[in-house]
Amino acid sequence: MTYQLDLLDIQGNVLRAYGRFRYPAARYVFFNIRDGAKGRAFVAALTRRVTTAVQWGEGPDKLPPPEWTLNVAFNYQGLKELDLPRESLIGFSPEFVAGMKDRKDILGDDGPSAPEHWDPIWQHNRETREHDVHIFVSINGLMPLPKDAKPAAVQAAVNDAKARVEAGYRWLLEQVAAQQGGVALLGGHRGDNGELLDYQDVQAVLENGVPTSKEHFGYTDGIGDPVFEGVPYDAERINGRGKQLANGQWAPLAAGEFLLGHTDEALEYPPAPSPLLLARNGTYMIYRKLHENVGTFERYLDEHGQRYPGGKELLAAKFVGRWRDNGAPIVKAWDDASKARFDADYKAADGHGKDQLLSNFTYDEDMSGGRCPFSAHIRRINPRASLEFTRDEQDPAKVCGAFSVSEGAFDTPGALANRRRVLRRGLPYGTVKDRSRDDGNHGIIIMMLNADINRQFEFVQQQWINYGNDFKAGNDKEILLGNHSQSEHFPSKAVLQVDPASDDAPYILPRLPRFVETRGGEYFFVPSLTALRMIAAGTVDPT
Amino acid sequence: MSNIAGKAYAMNVITPIRWYTAWLNKLIFWVALQRPATLKGLITLSLIHYARWVIIGRDQFPHVHPSQPRETLKYSYMLFFSNFNGSWDQYVDSFTFAIPSGLDMFWKWNVRYSKSVSLTPFHKYIRYNQLDTLHYYNAYPLATSNDVKSARIVKAKLLDFDSATRDASDDDFAKQYRTLLRDLQHDLGDMYPTPIVSMSAYQVERRQRWHEGQLDGSKH
Ligand code: HEM
Repeated sequence: MTYQLDLLDIQGNVLRAYGRFRYPAARYVFFNIRDGAKGRAFVAALTRRVTTAVQWGEGPDKLPPPEWTLNVAFNYQGLKELDLPRESLIGFSPEFVAGMKDRKDILGDDGPSAPEHWDPIWQHNRETREHDVHIFVSINGLMPLPKDAKPAAVQAAVNDAKARVEAGYRWLLEQVAAQQGGVALLGGHRGDNGELLDYQDVQAVLENGVPTSKEHFGYTDGIGDPVFEGVPYDAERINGRGKQLANGQWAPLAAGEFLLGHTDEALEYPPAPSPLLLARNGTYMIYRKLHENVGTFERYLDEHGQRYPGGKELLAAKFVGRWRDNGAPIVKAWDDASKARFDADYKAADGHGKDQLLSNFTYDEDMSGGRCPFSAHIRRINPRASLEFTRDEQDPAKVCGAFSVSEGAFDTPGALANRRRVLRRGLPYGTVKDRSRDDGNHGIIIMMLNADINRQFEFVQQQWINYGNDFKAGNDKEILLGNHSQSEHFPSKAVLQVDPASDDAPYILPRLPRFVETRGGEYFFVPSLTALRMIAAGTVDPT
Repeated sequence: MSNIAGKAYAMNVITPIRWYTAWLNKLIFWVALQRPATLKGLITLSLIHYARWVIIGRDQFPHVHPSQPRETLKYSYMLFFSNFNGSWDQYVDSFTFAIPSGLDMFWKWNVRYSKSVSLTPFHKYIRYNQLDTLHYYNAYPLATSNDVKSARIVKAKLLDFDSATRDASDDDFAKQYRTLLRDLQHDLGDMYPTPIVSMSAYQVERRQRWHEGQLDGSKH
């Protein structure tokens, strides 16, 4: 990689999913600014402690990882309260100005996902000045290396990580106190017993006290994440995560897909506010609290797992596109025999080999969806080159449930996917105490980062998750996240395709329930360090 | 005014072209029609109901009545007319992401054409030269072009299946039924209303429904 990013200017959470760097626990805290000048002083204090994207380790240009990280972002109201000039404010994108709640009809946040069911902090946001969310702060705790691999030692290390989050939080509260009422902490996050908390805690799901990369439905998560130019610690991770080229190779995506002030895949700078120093090395962040209906998921999977010819675990894999146990992509492991081969290879591989087995794949050999269905989570959200597909439709007699690669149709095979990618951050929240119930406190805080909320996140959410036309699936939605219809008469369904050369019939998933519901969220702007300093000093000037 | 009807969007773009290069464009169109491979990208995109490019010579604009003043035009014009599914952004972006060189070939000789990459100048070029649709009717507002194609296929397959299985044994019927479902596994998508195209279009629609008495007074 020859492209160089200014790692000391970019906030650490933009380039790093901390969970992958031994930070298994975090706390998200939100503030309301009561006084602009004090608000800026607060930002100044935080900025001195903000974690950058600098390389960690020993040696030149490197720093040791901090015991707790700190990152900061603002929504539109927050930037206004910090007195950014109007001319800068109007340069932010319309959806950022409007906020997530206002975009509910685009995002499909209806029925049980509608804002009236959100956590109080999100319900009250953008209703009255005093309850508006303005500032987002995240603190992640570093887990020390455990003494040995025994669960007790690992558990102690996880507890240390949590204690470090607490330490960071105490420091944060001191900064709030120092402003003497100038900023107020906003509570209202629902906790385990319906109580309202002052913060949103998240942490890796533990199995016997040991942190895993699982989420509450039991899937292995945190594998797929775009790789773009100039991220030094991702140099080995391009295959399967960058963009797919016509010659079968992979290249990192353009930095401008994820960072303002850099050229993007369309060879231009993404729309951004001025001055350039305010925007450059910053990005937009989508914060979403997603509740997982574990009971509904278990019941539906059990019911259809009994009927589904491949059995329950394969069915679960079909929902997402990966097996639950080790995350094996079903395009590589589509039946028992190929899964056994994958598992053997996986066991034998070293760290990098394992990562490549999991991430380096395409849908080129599975254009008809017989392995990974068109409505599976990862095929919908990152179709790679699989939208360059076609079939002969003129003569219905020739239609046989198959698609093939429409070779050379597009200038680059991933043309329709490359501009729709999102970086994924965040961790699960809560614990599942009773797998037969929906109403516990369990889900995912997902944070997506991208240069253009409308073109990237909102497009994926609206067109690919809650609609299916690009996949020639009509209004069929993505299985796991779709806001499936609650109507008696018009229930949602999904089709699990089969190999067109087989003698099987596709399996229809009838009456899909909602497995996931929105509990809140907002659009934020994650400024660079330079921009944070300018905002804190009140010197943003687009003239 | 609305450029939207159901799941379809109507786009009319009219761009000036020098009269002495217009024939080049006609030649390009002719070649494209002879060699379907040139339109492969467009067809693979599969979100277009119907698209057409027409060169209108500077003397060819309709003169419908003697009272209509005669005009002398400096340029000939290229009319691009398309009915597609999805939003303006989605359509224009799919074009520039997927088939930028094809676009450049068609518009190359148009006056002040910006090229399709980078995106913003191209967006502006289309926006400035687009004529909004005054009236737009859609007989099947729930159907995308993909849905129409699928419906044709489902109908043909069902009729074939019906006649082929009339005297089939149970086993044979089951086998043929599986084959039918497999053949149609990409044609069974639900058909419901379109996701909202934009917040502004959605608000216009809600206001209209409110005026027609279909919405209560609370939110309009
Ligand atoms: C409760 C909600 C969700 C659950 C349980 C969930 C679970 C998963 C799982 C198990 C994977 C596969 C592992 C991996 O590739 O890393 C995955 C991948 C992914 N998810 Fe989600 N997810 C959720 C919500 C979302 C949302 C809302 C988005 C964004 C709109 C999203 C974007 C992605 C992306 C981009 C990938 C990687 C796809 C790839 O590059 O192949 N997820 N998710």
